[in-house]
Amino acid sequence: MKALLIEDEKTLAYEIEAFLKKAFYICDLAHNARQGFEKLEDTQYDFVLLDLGLPDRDGFVLLEKGKKAHPETAFIIITARGNVDDRVRGLNMGADDYLTKPFSLLELEARMQAISRRKSGINTQLIDLGEFKVDIQKRMVSYGDVDIDLTRKEFDVLSYLLLHKNRVLTRLQLSEHIWGSFADDDFDSNYIDVHIKNLRKKLVAHAGVEWLETVRGVGYRIRK
Amino acid sequence: MKLSTKLTLFVSLSKLAIILVFVLALPFAVDYISSRYTDNVLRQQKKKVLREIKEKGVDYYLDGQESYGSYTLLREEFIALEPAESPVNLDTIATAKRIIEQDTLRYRILSHTFNAGGKRYVLEVARATSVMGQYSRPLQYFAFYALLALLALTVVVDLMVTHKLIQPLKAIISQKLVNQKFPFAARQEPIETSTEDFQYLDHSLILLMDQINEAFEKEREFTANASHELMTPISILQSKIENLMENTEVTDHVHQKLNELMRTLNRLKKIVNSLLLISRIDNEQFSRNDEVSVKPLITDIMEEISHRLEEKQISFSADFKHKIELQNVNADLLFQMFYNLINNAIKYNKPGGSITVRDEYKVDNYSVVIKDTGIGIPEEDLPSIFNRFKKSNLSEAGGYGLGLAIVKSIAGYHHIKLDVASAVGQGTTITVVFAEESVKG
Repeated sequence: MKALLIEDEKTLAYEIEAFLKKAFYICDLAHNARQGFEKLEDTQYDFVLLDLGLPDRDGFVLLEKGKKAHPETAFIIITARGNVDDRVRGLNMGADDYLTKPFSLLELEARMQAISRRKSGINTQLIDLGEFKVDIQKRMVSYGDVDIDLTRKEFDVLSYLLLHKNRVLTRLQLSEHIWGSFADDDFDSNYIDVHIKNLRKKLVAHAGVEWLETVRGVGYRIRK
Repeated sequence: MKLSTKLTLFVSLSKLAIILVFVLALPFAVDYISSRYTDNVLRQQKKKVLREIKEKGVDYYLDGQESYGSYTLLREEFIALEPAESPVNLDTIATAKRIIEQDTLRYRILSHTFNAGGKRYVLEVARATSVMGQYSRPLQYFAFYALLALLALTVVVDLMVTHKLIQPLKAIISQKLVNQKFPFAARQEPIETSTEDFQYLDHSLILLMDQINEAFEKEREFTANASHELMTPISILQSKIENLMENTEVTDHVHQKLNELMRTLNRLKKIVNSLLLISRIDNEQFSRNDEVSVKPLITDIMEEISHRLEEKQISFSADFKHKIELQNVNADLLFQMFYNLINNAIKYNKPGGSITVRDEYKVDNYSVVIKDTGIGIPEEDLPSIFNRFKKSNLSEAGGYGLGLAIVKSIAGYHHIKLDVASAVGQGTTITVVFAEESVKG
């Protein structure tokens, strides 16, 4: 997968680049709209991560022209502009997603994967998880023929961990993904623990869940 | 007391005082004027007598007698002509008593010495003082009542005129002070008046309002810009920490430290986000085109928040009796407002406590009441709970004092009135009263 990151804040750009490379993306950088246009002319990208507040041109201009030239490319807007109008405008102009800074890199990756799934057109994508099968699209977990009844939040926790398998996710990262801006504002809460506990209880009734690990003092991980 | 009433009262009282002084002084004035008039008449009569004596000789009066005297029937006037005994020449007018036919009366008497036919005579022409002051009392009464009537008339005129004069002041008070809601409209219309003082007052008020608006605008701008600027460094920090956590070489201990770092950063992020949200609401960057009922909002919130209820074993009940749809609102903001209120009701509740949410509909007033059995808010804290970064001393729980500030902003944005009733140790009841125009149908 090839991604172009257009971001004028270089320190941030390097961090995102490092993260994406680790996640096996080929990543190009542009620090202004001009460079962005040049890169877009040369290469066909799967993803364009676009900052709206660029020094030379407004990101929307790039979005409009880029989307016209590369309708297959997924454009994700990453911006500090969080107002609803910009979000609506961006999505109306063909952006595939809109992330407000500061965002979690894990969230970015999850969004990119969601777009990939959507674009690939595969409706059922069953992922093996121990002796369970997980259907991300249909939001279902099954053991053999038995569908396991999970709450929305429980499934969100499970799928986010699965998406970032072999990675320790902190309670904070999990709760931010699940509750977004309504994430706990008292950070010593153990709400995520409650959800994990319930999740384990429901799954253990069918088979072992040794793949779901608790990392002391940090968070949780699915090892696969 | 109103200024116009005060002015009229003052003017009327001073007029009344002047009238009283005038009426009381009237007899003296009348006395003075009538004595001057009498003196004049006496002098005229003296001239006439002297002229006749000159023309016709003194015998015309004396008629062969030593002296001559004559008075009117009621003895109001008399004239006397006598040979002068004293060598002093007299020409005086004085008030003195005279006895005429056993009656002692006070007279104004003109005495004049003259020579006629080789002899010196004294002429006395007099008029009774009782005649002089006879109109004084009725005049006093008449003047008093006439002036009182005039006074009443002027009071009416004064009232009308002051009312008219003070009208611009009333307009300034009602338009610029009483009926102003903050933030003020950008353009304030000056009140039309020809009174310079009012023009000055009005102008000063407009200037003051502009200054307040400007200061408020600056603060809003600052909050928006500062929050916005803070987002980029926070973003960089977050990415750096996340990348570090990905690093497999990082030991568990360091991982824990990074986790703590992340939590602190998240707290900062949350504060900045809240400030940005408030400034966006205050800058009217949210639409108000949604139609929504409160009940499904509360249901959605419960779904988000139920784990917190469970944790504290708080019972929750929602009772919505009225099928009211709200219009011209922003559903997301209302969600956020109720979320924050219910979240607070949980946060400051006691384990095993309860929260009830119900609605009320009374004569065009739709309100939602959120009642908890929490720790309550001390009375002295009540006025400031909606201020930014204000936290009750009693609260040991977390929070940044921005939750209620957001609630206040959202409420203000929707013209919602918030009533808070609280008793320490017993709980808090917050009533959200929707504006009439927000209630559909």
